[in-house]
Amino acid sequence: MTATENRPPKYKYVGTRPVRHDGLDKVTGKARFAADLDLTGQLRGVMVRSPHAHARIVSIDTSAAEAMPGVKAVTTGADFPTIDPADPAHDEAINNIARDEVLYDGHTVAAVAATTLAEARAAAAAVKVEYEVLPAVLSIEESIADGAPIANSTNRTLFTGDTEPSNIASIGPFQRGDVEAGFAAADVIVERTFTTKAVHQGYIEPHACVADVGQDGKATIWASSQGHFAVRSKTAKILGWGTDKIKVTPAEIGGGFGGKTTIYLEPIAVMLSQKAARPVKIVMTREEVLRATGPAPASKIHIKMGATNDGELTTIQGTLHYSNGSAKGYAALTGAMSIASYRFPNLDLMAVGTVDNTPKSAAYRAPSAPQAAFAIETLVDEIADQLGVDPIDLRLRNAVVEGDPTAMGAPHPKIGFIETLEAIKNSEHYNSPVPEGAGRGFGTGFWFNIGEQSSATVNLNEDGTATVITGSPDIGGSRASMALMAAEELGLDVHRITPIVADTESVGFTDITEGSRATFATGMAVVNACRELIEQMKERAAVMRGVAADQVAWIDGAAVIEGPPSEGADPVSIAEITGAAKMTGGPLTATASLNAAGAGPSFAAHLADVRVDEETGQVEILRYTAAQDAGTAIHPSYVEGQMQGGSAQGIGWALNEEYIFSGDGEMENASFLDYRMPVASDLPMIEAIIVEVPNPSHPYGVRGVGETGIVPPIGTLANAIAHAAGVRMTDLPMSPPTVLKAINNK
Amino acid sequence: MAIVHLQANHATFTDGVRQLEVDGATVGAVIDELAKRFDGLGPLLREGSSVAINGELQPKGTIYAAVTGDAEVHFLAPISGG
Repeated sequence: MTATENRPPKYKYVGTRPVRHDGLDKVTGKARFAADLDLTGQLRGVMVRSPHAHARIVSIDTSAAEAMPGVKAVTTGADFPTIDPADPAHDEAINNIARDEVLYDGHTVAAVAATTLAEARAAAAAVKVEYEVLPAVLSIEESIADGAPIANSTNRTLFTGDTEPSNIASIGPFQRGDVEAGFAAADVIVERTFTTKAVHQGYIEPHACVADVGQDGKATIWASSQGHFAVRSKTAKILGWGTDKIKVTPAEIGGGFGGKTTIYLEPIAVMLSQKAARPVKIVMTREEVLRATGPAPASKIHIKMGATNDGELTTIQGTLHYSNGSAKGYAALTGAMSIASYRFPNLDLMAVGTVDNTPKSAAYRAPSAPQAAFAIETLVDEIADQLGVDPIDLRLRNAVVEGDPTAMGAPHPKIGFIETLEAIKNSEHYNSPVPEGAGRGFGTGFWFNIGEQSSATVNLNEDGTATVITGSPDIGGSRASMALMAAEELGLDVHRITPIVADTESVGFTDITEGSRATFATGMAVVNACRELIEQMKERAAVMRGVAADQVAWIDGAAVIEGPPSEGADPVSIAEITGAAKMTGGPLTATASLNAAGAGPSFAAHLADVRVDEETGQVEILRYTAAQDAGTAIHPSYVEGQMQGGSAQGIGWALNEEYIFSGDGEMENASFLDYRMPVASDLPMIEAIIVEVPNPSHPYGVRGVGETGIVPPIGTLANAIAHAAGVRMTDLPMSPPTVLKAINNK
Repeated sequence: MAIVHLQANHATFTDGVRQLEVDGATVGAVIDELAKRFDGLGPLLREGSSVAINGELQPKGTIYAAVTGDAEVHFLAPISGG
C-alpha cells in the first residue's frame, strides 16, 4: 500500500504495477545466468584455496597438477602483475589471487582449468603449496590488542601518513557541540556495548563467469555482477590489460545485495583461458561463496546517550569498531556517518576500522548502517521506556528534517523521516493491541543513496515501439522501472517498450548498480534520452504536417499541431512518425549520459510483534510492518519487494546468522544447512507501507529504495524482545541460546 | 568565498580548524587551495572523501563541480552502497 498518495495526476504509467518485462523468462527458467552458459570447447576452472587463515607462501609446485588428465592450464599469483599496495586496486587484486601471503582461510592461491569439473578438482588437489603458517588475528578484540600480530603486512592506516604495517584500516572522529555539557544537561543516560558477527548477503546464485580469450588476444567475459563495466575495469587492472581488450556481457543476476560489487573469478578465468586457448567457466560452490567472498563486517559498538526528561536527545558519544576482514576499507567511517536520524546537538563518535584474517568484507545493503542502528535504536528505545513516553513520539521529537545536520555535519536535503514515522504511528498495526504474551518493538533506519555515472540509449522502432538500453544490471526490477519512466515520458504503453541491459561495447559507461542508484541515476539518463527523442519527433511531425517545429507540442504520446494552418488536425502518433522516419531523416534514436548528483536519502521505520519462548529462547515473529520513504514509487510492487527483502535479510541478521570460525580461523558453518538464513516459514507476511516524499533532484522524485529496508530490523526486534521477555539484547545473533542465556541471567 | 566544513579527521592536518573560507570555482580548486594551506590534507580530500555542496551529495571523484561564492562545501568520508 502507499501511505501518501500525493502523486500528481498527470502520471499515467509511473506508479502502476505492470508485469515485469523479464518475469516470464525468470519464472520459466529461460533466463540465462552465468552458470547456464556453455561454449564449445569450454574448460572448467577450479581454485586452489588456502587451508590457513594466515600464512606465507613458501612455494607452489604445479607440476603434478599440470601432468594430470584433462588439465590444460594452471595459474598462480606469479602470472599476474604486481600492484603497489598504495594503489586502490591492490587489495582486490591480491584478494583474487594471493601473492606471497594468504590472508584468510579460503584465499585463492592458484587455479587450474581442465576438460571436466572432476578433472579440474582432482588437479587442484594436486597443486602442492608449502606454507609458513603465521599467527592469525580473528576478531576485532584480537586485532586491536597490544602486541597483536599484523594480519596483513601490506596494510597501512588510510590517510594518516603512517608507513608501518598496522591492523587499523581507517580511523576517524566525528564531533560537534559540547558532549560533557550535553551529558550534564541530561536527566537520563543510557550506555551499552553491542557486538555483531560477520554475516553474508546470501544471494541464491553463487559467483560464476565464463571467459573466452580469442586469437586476437581479446577477452569476452559473461559474468554475474552488479556492474559489468566495473568487472571490465577491475579485471583489466588486475591483469594489467587495457579495457579495450575486454568485453563483458552481463548475465542475469541471481541476487547481489552489494556482494557482487566486487570480483573474485574473472581475472583468473581470463588468465586460464589465455593459457589454454579455450573458454573457461568458473562457478563457485556455496562453500566457496561463504568462505571466500566478502561478508558484511563484524562490529563492536559502544554508545552512551543522554536525554532530558522532556524527551530531547541531547548527546551521543561512543566508539564504533568495524572489521574490514583481511583488507583496508571504510566500514567504520560509514557506520558512524549513518547515525543521521536524530539531531543530537552534541556528538562525539570515534570510528575505527580494523583488519584481521577473516574474508575481506564487502558491501551489504546499506553497508555498516544496520550495526550502528542496532545500537542507536536500542538506546533510544530504552530512553523512551525510562521516560515512559511513546517510542515513536520520542523519535518524532528528535527526528531530523531538511537542514538538520548529519553525523558529519552536512545538512540533510529534503527528507521524509517525519512522514515515515507518522506512517507507522497511523498504521492499523500500531493501533492494534499487542497480542497476549507478545512484545512490540519499533526501530528506524537511514541510508544516504548515491548517484554516479549512468548511460541510456532509447531507440524507436519502425512500428512505434521502443527499446530502452541501459548499462545497469537489473538486480531489483530496474528494467520495469526504466520502461515505466520511458512510457511516462513518451506516452507509450509500457509493454510496447523493451528494456534491455547491454554489454560494455553496446551502451555508454555505467557505474555499478549500488547505493540504490539505478532507478535514480540511470532512470534520469532514460528520461533525458526520451526528452531528446520527443524533440526529434516534434521536428519530424512538423515536416510531415508542413508546419514549423515550434508549432508542435508533445501531448499524451503524440505530436499535436498548434496554430494555423493545421491547428485541429489529428495528432501525429509515434507509430506514424517512426513509420515515416525513412522519409523525414532516418531512424530515431537518442542517448544520454550523466554523472548524477542529488541522490535523495531514505528513511525507514519498522514495527514488530514477537513472542519469546522462555524455555528455549526462540523468537517467533507474529507480525511485521515496514514503512519507507521511496520519494516516488515508480513500480510500487518492486518497492514493496525491496522493503520486504531488506526486512527479511535484516531479520535473519538479527535472529540467526553469523560466521562461526574455529580457533584456527576456519569457517565452521560454510553451508546453508549451518549458516541459518530465514526461510518463508520463519517469517510472517511483511506488510509494506510506501511513503512518498519526492526527491526534488529527480524528475519523478525517486530516492532509491534498495538498501534502507535492512537497517531497522535488528533494533526493531531487539526492542520487541525487550518488551516480550524483559531482556535487552546487545549481542547478535539473537538466536535461541543467546536469548535463553539473557533470560536466565535477568 | 565558499565556506568549507571539514571532518574531525581532516582537522588532524589543520591544527583543529574545521570551518574556513576558501576561494575556488570548483571542488578541485578548493581542494588545491586547502592542500596548499595544510600539508597532507590533499590526498585525503581527493581520494578518501565524498563532497556535498549546499547539502547535495556530489558524485564520487567530482573535481569540476562548480562552487559558488556563497556555497557551503562539506567534505565527508567516502559514501558508496551495497
